[in-house]
This record gives sequence, structure tokens and C-alpha cells, in this order.
Amino acid sequence: MVETILPIGPQHPALKEPVNFKVIVDGETIVGLELDVSYTHRGIEKAAEQRDFIRVVPLLERVCGICSHAHAQAFCTGIEEVMQLEVPPRAQYIRTIVAELERMHSHILWLGVAAHEVGFNTLFMWTWRDRETTQDILEEMTGNRMNYGINEVGGVRRDLTAGQISSILSRLPKLEEQIGKYVGMVKGEETMLLRFRGIGKLSKAEALKYGTVGPTARASGVDYDIRRDDPYIAYSEIPWKVVTDTNGDVYGRTLVRIRELQESLGIIRYCLEHLPEGPIGVQAPKVAPKAEIFSRYEAPRGELVHFMRTNGTDRVERLDIRTPTLANWTSVTVSLVNQHIADIPVIVAAIDPCLSCTSRITILNEQGREKARMTLEQLSEYGRKYSRERGRC
Amino acid sequence: MSGPLPLEDVKKALERFGPVEQVRFNRIKVKTVPENVREALFHAQALLACDRLIQISALDNGQSFELIYHLTGPHRMVIAIAIELPRDRPEMHTTSDILPPAGIYERQIYDLFGIVFTGHPNLKRIILSEDWPRDEFPMRKDWKPKPRTPRGGARQEAP
Repeated sequence: MVETILPIGPQHPALKEPVNFKVIVDGETIVGLELDVSYTHRGIEKAAEQRDFIRVVPLLERVCGICSHAHAQAFCTGIEEVMQLEVPPRAQYIRTIVAELERMHSHILWLGVAAHEVGFNTLFMWTWRDRETTQDILEEMTGNRMNYGINEVGGVRRDLTAGQISSILSRLPKLEEQIGKYVGMVKGEETMLLRFRGIGKLSKAEALKYGTVGPTARASGVDYDIRRDDPYIAYSEIPWKVVTDTNGDVYGRTLVRIRELQESLGIIRYCLEHLPEGPIGVQAPKVAPKAEIFSRYEAPRGELVHFMRTNGTDRVERLDIRTPTLANWTSVTVSLVNQHIADIPVIVAAIDPCLSCTSRITILNEQGREKARMTLEQLSEYGRKYSRERGRC
Repeated sequence: MSGPLPLEDVKKALERFGPVEQVRFNRIKVKTVPENVREALFHAQALLACDRLIQISALDNGQSFELIYHLTGPHRMVIAIAIELPRDRPEMHTTSDILPPAGIYERQIYDLFGIVFTGHPNLKRIILSEDWPRDEFPMRKDWKPKPRTPRGGARQEAP
């Protein structure tokens, strides 16, 4: 059969941020993938070299809207190690609470998007309603729903009052109950089982070979979690478990994320109940000595790395950021091969890429002449219809 | 997850390639020359169970380019293999055949630093927009931002 190139994007329907895929298909089956992620290059690494340590933290929060705390924290952890700062435990606990709330809102958001991709909009609406709880808590704690601005080198910028702590604790049981319902839905609802099971399968050996990170890797039985392997902020003091699964498909990735929600909730509760007394920050020096630091962080999507070199001035000589999504692309390329076009949205969404909405795809024939055009909403709809007709949904 | 890797084991496996240094309790750095990288990666994989490439960091220190391959494995230590490349001839053999994730990182470095990875199966532009000049590499230290030259996106037609 003739192989056809199917361009998808640059505006992707599943999540935020644009990417362009050139999917090579043979009939209904995918045989290859080529991608272009150039659309949102903003030169942040270069800009970070021109700013001092106070001004660079807000910049790094804006690398990603969802994992804004992750980037600020990975940078602060690194610079604090270079400066040999002893950050007060209260600040570390508050950072942990924000980090886990961020993980929760990211995973809940993902679950909603994944449900939407398979046409299960009830769960989509439920999750996004429940996500407001985490957003409200974050807003009360930091003043912002996104780009929290709570971190700085040496500590945090806002303290928690006793009233806030009890108010947050009182809202957790309801959230816990809802997460329990998601577990039941994902394990029991035919709509989800039929579209998630056996789709985008990645074996443990493949996950290791292609450098997969985060929930995608843990769903294939690779138990890498930086929070345990290379503990930062307060994780070494808190009881929690690394979540893994052996399914290795979209179903497994969903289970891992939901069980991580439960773990995160436990961490937040522990931190609030055991919040140490004391100051929330130390004065950081203006300059950092000459050093090289490799700072690792478990972001909601997987291992995030900030490699930085300081040179005795008030700014970094080089900051090299490796985001989890970049690490996961290699495995997406692999897990899409031999799958159906109809499953593209759900497989791509399953790594939870930082990518985006409302787009069109252009179907080209082998000479590259435009034949037809469909929006990605239509592709999702096509996916649902295809599955219905094949009796998978 | 296995126990941490003792410095002696790393020395035994990688010392022939260059000086081995423990920079932090779970970070070990080996300095070597570009010709030895592939062999060092093979040794790290076979003898130290480093089955995972975390990142290839690239730097421009003014005199030369530096590449640092960060590896990890079940021991959860980070083994860094560092090399320097001359500025006038930035070329390096690809490692994407040994470590598949290296492919996408090398494309990124090629785009931002202009380091050519010979033998790479698909060394194409990935980060910068398609109209970016071929001879400008923004992460090099001698490149200065040009705020008034728009790149990428739709152009406004002259009225």
C-alpha cells in the first residue's frame, strides 16, 4: 500500500502549546512519526543568562503554566546548593505542599482531557469541577492560580496561617472521595476500558531504552521517581510510596496518575499536620560561587532537569533545561507505530504533553497535494465513531 | 532500585578514559576526549548498568564547546561523561545508535549551538523556526539577541 503523510497541528487539540506531527500512515495504520516543536521557542535559556537570581525565578516559572512551581523549584534547589544555604524546614514543607497541589491539579486536568478525548465528557466535567478545589487552595496560599510566585532563592515568600491550614484540611476529604470515584470509573466504565486498554503499549524494556520518564515510565513498571531517588525539599521526611503499574498502556498510565493523586493528597495532609514552626526563608547572597550543578525534580510529567553553571557573578553562565515532554517524545514515536489513526489523540494525550487546542489536519496524498482538511475536533469525533463501528466503544 | 555505586567501581570501569571525580554523594564526573565517548558509554552501560540517558548538556565557555552526557541506572547515581569540542570545528559522532533518547537531544544541540553530529539518522531543525538563518546559533556566547528582527509566525503584508 501507498504510505501517506498526515500532518497534524501545529495547534494540537488535546492540550496546550503547539506542535506539528507528520504522521506517516499506511491505510489506517501508523508507520512513522516526525515532529516539529519550534512554534513556542521563546529563548528562555538565553534570557536566563541575562538576569540575576532574583529576576530569573519569575522568568523560569513562565517556562510552563502547569508546572511553574517545578521549574522555579528545580532552579532554587540548584542555586541553594551552590550557595550552601540551609533553607528552613517550614519553607521546605510549604514548597512541598505547593509542589503536590500542582501535581494534583495537573493529573486531574489530564484525566479530564483523556476522558474528553474518548468522548466521556461526564468525567471531563467532574474532574474539572474538582480541580477547582486545588486551584482555590493554591490561590489562597500563593495569591495566584498559576505561576504562583511563591518561591525565591532561600525560601518561600508567603507563610501559612493556622486558619488557612484548617481551611485546607477541611476541603481534602471531599477531594479524596471524588478521587475514589475516579478509580471506580476508570476501572469499571466500559467507555474508558475499551479505548484505554492495550492502546499505546510500551514494554518495560522499551520504556527504559527510550528514556521514558514520569507516569508514562512508571506505568510500564520502571520505578524511577526523583522524589525518592534523589530527594529534594522535604520528600525524604514524608511517608509516601512510588506508584507503579505493569499494564504499560494508556489504561496503566491512567491508573498510575490516579493513584499518584491519592499519594499526593496524603503528602499534603502530612505536611499540613506536621508543618514545622520557624522562619520561611533565609537571606540569600547576591552572587553564587563558581560551580556546576545538575538539579533534578519530579515534575507532574516526569523528571525535569536543570543543569546550571555559575561563575562567581549574580547570574548563571548557562542554564540547560531538559523538560519531561522532550524525553517522552522518543517513546511516543515508538508507541504510535502499528496503532490506528483514531488512537492518535489518546496516545499523544497519554504522555500528558505540554501541547494544545483547536487545530486542523490536512490530509495529503503521496504527491503532497491537498486533498481534504479536517479539524482536530473532527479527528477526535472520527476516533469515537471508528471505535463505535468496530465495536470497541 | 539497588544500592549506590561505589567510586572505586566507577574508577575501575571508566578511569582509562580520563580523571574520575566524585562531585556530590550521588554524582560522579568523568572527563574524557570526544574520541572516547562511545567506548565510555558502552563501558558505563555494560559494567555500571547505566541504562538511561538523562540529558546531554551543552555549554559554550568562550574557548570551546562542552558536552556532558548524564547517565543513570538502577543505582540511581548520576554518571557524567564530559568532553570539549573545538569552536572552529564543532563535530561529534552521534550516540543515538547506543542510546536512542540521544537522538532528540542531539537535534536540539545542533539547532542551538551548531554542533554537527555525524552519523545522526535525522539531524534536522527542531527548536528554532524554519526561517531562522542557517549560520546563527543563539546559545553561542558570541550571539547577541536582535529584538527587532521578527522570526516565525505570519508576516504583516505591506499596505
